Amino acid sequence: MNNLLDWIRTWGHWLTFLLLETISLVLLLRFNAYQGSVWFTQANAVTGSVLEWQHRMIVYTHLAEVNRQLTEVNQDLQSEVDVLRHRLQELEHDSSQTERALAERLAGIRRIPAKVVANSVRDKDNLITINRGEADGVRTEMGVVCGTGIVGIVSQTGRHYSIVLPILNSHSSISCRLKKTEYFGYLKWEGGSPLRAFIDDIPNHATVEKGEMVETSGFSSVFPPGIFIGKVRRVLISDDGLSYKLEIGLSTDFARLTDVSVIDWKAPERTDANNQPEDSTLSNP
Amino acid sequence: MIVIFIRHLLQMLALVAMQVLVCNYVHFMGYATPMPYVVFLAYFSLDSNRVGNMLWAFGMGLLIDSFSNTPGEAAAALTLTAFVQWPLLRAMAPKECAEDMVPTYKSMGRWNHIRYLFILALVHHVTFYLLESFSFFHLTETLIAFASSLLFSFVLMLLLETLRHGK
Repeated sequence: MNNLLDWIRTWGHWLTFLLLETISLVLLLRFNAYQGSVWFTQANAVTGSVLEWQHRMIVYTHLAEVNRQLTEVNQDLQSEVDVLRHRLQELEHDSSQTERALAERLAGIRRIPAKVVANSVRDKDNLITINRGEADGVRTEMGVVCGTGIVGIVSQTGRHYSIVLPILNSHSSISCRLKKTEYFGYLKWEGGSPLRAFIDDIPNHATVEKGEMVETSGFSSVFPPGIFIGKVRRVLISDDGLSYKLEIGLSTDFARLTDVSVIDWKAPERTDANNQPEDSTLSNP
Repeated sequence: MIVIFIRHLLQMLALVAMQVLVCNYVHFMGYATPMPYVVFLAYFSLDSNRVGNMLWAFGMGLLIDSFSNTPGEAAAALTLTAFVQWPLLRAMAPKECAEDMVPTYKSMGRWNHIRYLFILALVHHVTFYLLESFSFFHLTETLIAFASSLLFSFVLMLLLETLRHGK
């Protein structure tokens, strides 16, 4: 017994050291596998509320600038409304078949508005924390959009906060298509500028023009089809030389993201889309 | 005992707040994120408990990790640094100093103290960036980030120590 106590006295610090390091490494490796370690991340209620408070302070300092922008936008909109109202009177007409279909498709989608409380754009694996969680109906694998287009996919949820895996993350992979020709591919981010992402595997017989619009394909249950992602900025040849690689200018400025909404969209019954690419939060090597 | 515990607790919370509210948002030249919280380990006195120090470091690491979405990284790095801190302070303390010496400019000598702080920062940053490099892709970028962050943290640590002890 004395021997044991002596042994603990001599080697106790080694034991503690190994124990603590093991706990740390387990946390590190588990989190990298993107399993739920909500407790030690920003989705935890305490850290979330501290970060939200901090974010409110920061936003407060920007109010003057925001006000100016709002006034500008307001003026623009006002003049646009005038013009449009005028034109509408000239063009009263029955809504067409496609317009009705579009309205029907968007009508069933519930949106949960949320504020961004923490955000990064400089890392290789950026994450966004928003102030809505399971209590507000947010579930993992839901899509997140903002006024200018797509943002990302919910990857972890706490009770009142959630972590969103934005496009700006090496694990993000969003199924998308060219609006005009409907060629589809995965949208991936390769680090560097937060305004630029890439689509691989566009067949090289496709005609792709600069400035062409890219939108979600709707092949998955995360995003409905037709949500704006960005525009083709450059057409490159892929590494193997067999297909095009498109550089996309993203429409969303992630560095200034404040208001987003989580979309709760149920995909319609799949028919011919069964073997199409799905959006995912995992990297498929 | 209680006084020391409360003092350490306040020091820890202040340093964590400084890290998660300010330093995490600094990316000097796009790379250098300072991590001056390592200075916390330099607050432990010569007669402090080795296991206790490691527990403090681990707790602080967990707090910082929770706020910066890096579970385990800071905790692992700080625990290792605390593990090294104990024998290091013994090796670097002057021969005829008090048993409960708290390392400062005065008690350790200026250069000795600066060296002590630098070694603590170095051990922490090496571990932190090694762990980070599991998920990072560019060697040169990691090295630049490591070196610039180390330099930045070290300068801030010296500043904090100067503020703490006056001139």
